[in-house]
Amino acid sequence: MSVQSNAARAEATGAAVVAMLRENARTDIPYYGWRSHGSGLLAIAALVGIYIAGVAVLGITPGRFFVGLFRLGDIIGLMWPPSPETWGKFWIYMDALGQTLAIAFLGTIVAAVFAAPLGFLAARNIVANRIVHFGARRALDTVRSVDTLIWALIWINVVGLGPFAGLLAIATSDVCALAKLFSEAIETADRRPVEGIMASGGSRAAAVRFGIVPQVLPVFASQILYYIESNTRSATIIGIVGAGGIGVYLSEQIRVLEWSQAAFIILMVLVTVAIIDAISRVLRKAIIGRA
Amino acid sequence: MLTIEGVSKVFGATRAVDNVSAAIPRGQFVGIIGRSGAGKSTLLRMINRLVEPTEGRISLDGRDVTRLDGRELREWRRSCAMIFQQFNLVGRLDVLNNVLMGRLAHTPAWRSFPRLWSHEDRAIALSALDQLDIAGLAAQRAEDLSGGQQQRVAICRALVQEPEIILADEPVASLDPRNAKIVMDALLRINKHFGLTVLCNLHSLDLARTYCDRLIGMAQGRVVFDDVPAALTQEVARQLYGMEAHEVLDADLGPGLMAPESATAAA
Repeated sequence: MSVQSNAARAEATGAAVVAMLRENARTDIPYYGWRSHGSGLLAIAALVGIYIAGVAVLGITPGRFFVGLFRLGDIIGLMWPPSPETWGKFWIYMDALGQTLAIAFLGTIVAAVFAAPLGFLAARNIVANRIVHFGARRALDTVRSVDTLIWALIWINVVGLGPFAGLLAIATSDVCALAKLFSEAIETADRRPVEGIMASGGSRAAAVRFGIVPQVLPVFASQILYYIESNTRSATIIGIVGAGGIGVYLSEQIRVLEWSQAAFIILMVLVTVAIIDAISRVLRKAIIGRA
Repeated sequence: MLTIEGVSKVFGATRAVDNVSAAIPRGQFVGIIGRSGAGKSTLLRMINRLVEPTEGRISLDGRDVTRLDGRELREWRRSCAMIFQQFNLVGRLDVLNNVLMGRLAHTPAWRSFPRLWSHEDRAIALSALDQLDIAGLAAQRAEDLSGGQQQRVAICRALVQEPEIILADEPVASLDPRNAKIVMDALLRINKHFGLTVLCNLHSLDLARTYCDRLIGMAQGRVVFDDVPAALTQEVARQLYGMEAHEVLDADLGPGLMAPESATAAA
């Protein structure tokens, strides 16, 4: 039998199947899909309404927006060319940038050290007690909802201006965020190795040590790297309120309208973040691939 | 003698295992057969207490094991090693360390947690791997192995526990026929050579007939058959698997795509 007639036959049977389905067409079986066009349109209308209300509350008019746009153009013009002006200032900025990096790195490490035990405490599959679990979760959520910047303002009042306050701000705000991420990694860990170890006569601690820890460590490491990366940005911001690092200089240059120096500092931060991003991506890949 | 007396397990409204009793002499190779959901797995897990029985009593040589806890429970679990359908190895640990998990109950935590296994334990583990022809894989990560290899690692883990009983929960259900034979042969060898009692859940009747000294058939949580494999008639098999006759063949399939005529016509 030739290929063509085979294909023709296949077509014929396919058509026959549809013909049979058409013959037995069912219009009587009800189908209630979860989306209907009405509710989708309603949702879009609601979003537009909320947006307009927001603009009205803030008193934003198109006029102000366009005037602002021109002024932004002026500022960008003043920023060109970005320059530290003198080599002396360049080295001062480099030193401050190093401080920012140190704040981000040390702050994250301190946060991770405290977050690891908290993460285990807040994981449902480790601590079976519902009260402990619930309490730990709520406590983490509460502390987590306070932003790094607010922690920086608090710590400045406790330990004074400078990088130490910045380090503490990063550590306190991230300890809970990391603990929550850790506990989620622990909760999604495969249960089967744990069962295997319990069945071999291992204690609960041994089940955690050998059944869970090897699974979650690479996840922890990857999350810590991501936080170091993102904290490089946060550490710049908290510098603005006086918690050490490059942010202090950035806010100062903006205040005295030295736009070309401010632009240079912004570029320094951008390049640094890009480099850290690249390094952490390579490391994360290496860790997840093989740990 | 492993004695199971009136053991039941209730999950909510369902009795997963319903008043099961059996006495299993030392050295017997027992196959527990039945369809999925018949309670085979729950029964096995109640023996090593991964699942707590709701009622009844399980004892070994007269010693009640249903009330054990703490150290004694761990010691009991050591003595009845379990082999799982999904192997339950630690995927990110290497093969040797997975086998050494079987030595946890013999090793103080200060040694096992930093993985400071004794030379003797390592040698035992390597010997077990060698017995199953996979010593060459000792340094590989467990999750990189094939299913058949992983199950052999799991058997090694069970062996180094120095068990008296092996509980095998569908040990070959995720394996191809060749690997299934390797694994079943290994269990049989352990049973015949060392006289270990083996309790093995199986849903393949062929394997059950080939390897077991005795078959316990379960349906809806109850024991409906308990005898030598030769006594397993078609009638009993049909009852166990609730089968073909009324559930598959006589089912009303209607005239559509599922009718056998159209299937043969298309072929």
